[in-house]
Amino acid sequence: MGATIEAIEYVFPEKKISNKDLQIEFPDYDFKRFEEKVGIASRYVVAKNETGLDLAVKACQKLFERNINKKEVDYILYCTQSPEYILPTTACVLQDKLELRKNIGAFDFNLGCSGYTYGLSFAKALIESNQAKKILLVTAETYSKLIHEKDRTNRSIFGDAATATIISESTENNIYHFLFGTDGKGYDKLIVKNGASRNDFDINCELKEYGTGNKYSDNHLYMNGPEVFNFTSGVIPNFTKELLKKNTIDIDQIDQYIFHQANAFMLNFMRKRLKVSENKFYVNLKNSGNTVSCTIPIALKDYSRKIKTPEKIMIVGFGVGLSWSGGLININKSL
Amino acid sequence: MNKQKFIAELVEELLIETDVTLDTKFKELDEWDSMGAMMLIGYVSDNFEVVLNADDIDSLTTIQSLIQKIGNEKFS
Repeated sequence: MGATIEAIEYVFPEKKISNKDLQIEFPDYDFKRFEEKVGIASRYVVAKNETGLDLAVKACQKLFERNINKKEVDYILYCTQSPEYILPTTACVLQDKLELRKNIGAFDFNLGCSGYTYGLSFAKALIESNQAKKILLVTAETYSKLIHEKDRTNRSIFGDAATATIISESTENNIYHFLFGTDGKGYDKLIVKNGASRNDFDINCELKEYGTGNKYSDNHLYMNGPEVFNFTSGVIPNFTKELLKKNTIDIDQIDQYIFHQANAFMLNFMRKRLKVSENKFYVNLKNSGNTVSCTIPIALKDYSRKIKTPEKIMIVGFGVGLSWSGGLININKSL
Repeated sequence: MNKQKFIAELVEELLIETDVTLDTKFKELDEWDSMGAMMLIGYVSDNFEVVLNADDIDSLTTIQSLIQKIGNEKFS
């Protein structure tokens, strides 16, 4: 007995912003060079009155239009840093909107780029401990609502999306060992300071600048790019090696490495450190950018379209927290 | 590493399209932005095993100042 990823669906908001669109707002910036190095050509952002939950509902509905019986879902794991309300729990609202059963578990968890891998490991644990049989794992993120309009870097990198994954009990196990990492010392490397308990949202907040001419305030998302890059390139390659060891598998036996799609330069930097060839290392954020906890399920879905025989895939998420996690999965069909 | 070779590699790595000397200031380069900083950190880490942090990046002035940060003894 074990757990298997049965299906994945994802959705983007309707509004697409291309590099050409951004060029009009930031005429002095070389977006061609950005696209070449960071690998992003466009990203999607929600409308003013649209939320992560709205996207999540659409992603889940896409799942239930397939041969997945929503009445069998007995647990919702909802990963977001863009909750519908401060309270109640977004997963509870989702249960009602989707008309799922009432005798099910549902909770939100607040993680960013490490969220999907955490969710999978939790789903596996729920199944293995016989607490659930069919889990709906949702990731929904709308960072665009948190980014200052004059923050060129973050507006270029981040995009909004939602994904829905079904993890089911199965005779053969396809979700193997996971590992985790946490370093709260880096809590302020990626942060929205105001608006929660520690600091009130401040309408008169001063406008600050970082990097080369990016504007933001403490009400907005701030990312310390150099420090996040150093964390990732310093920690993740060794963490990946630990994951290989934990799963007693060699680096060459992995069919595909699917890391959080943060940016193409950083991914290739880590790929070279790990000495993995390009065809075994997934890099594709051209269309939708860095969608936080949504990048891994989007990549898994897209990559799985060409799977013909069972493939061992190593997935690793890392970012805000600082937090990282990863594991080994087996995928044998288009998700 | 030879300083001229270092400059040539930086120009290639950061996709710089103008002439660069030891006295060129990073902040005066059109290509200098947060992406350039990331590429610079990657290049220096790979070639000199020196990790530049955010403060190092902020305090960079000229190419010469970068050489000092990495360690003058590593250059000829």
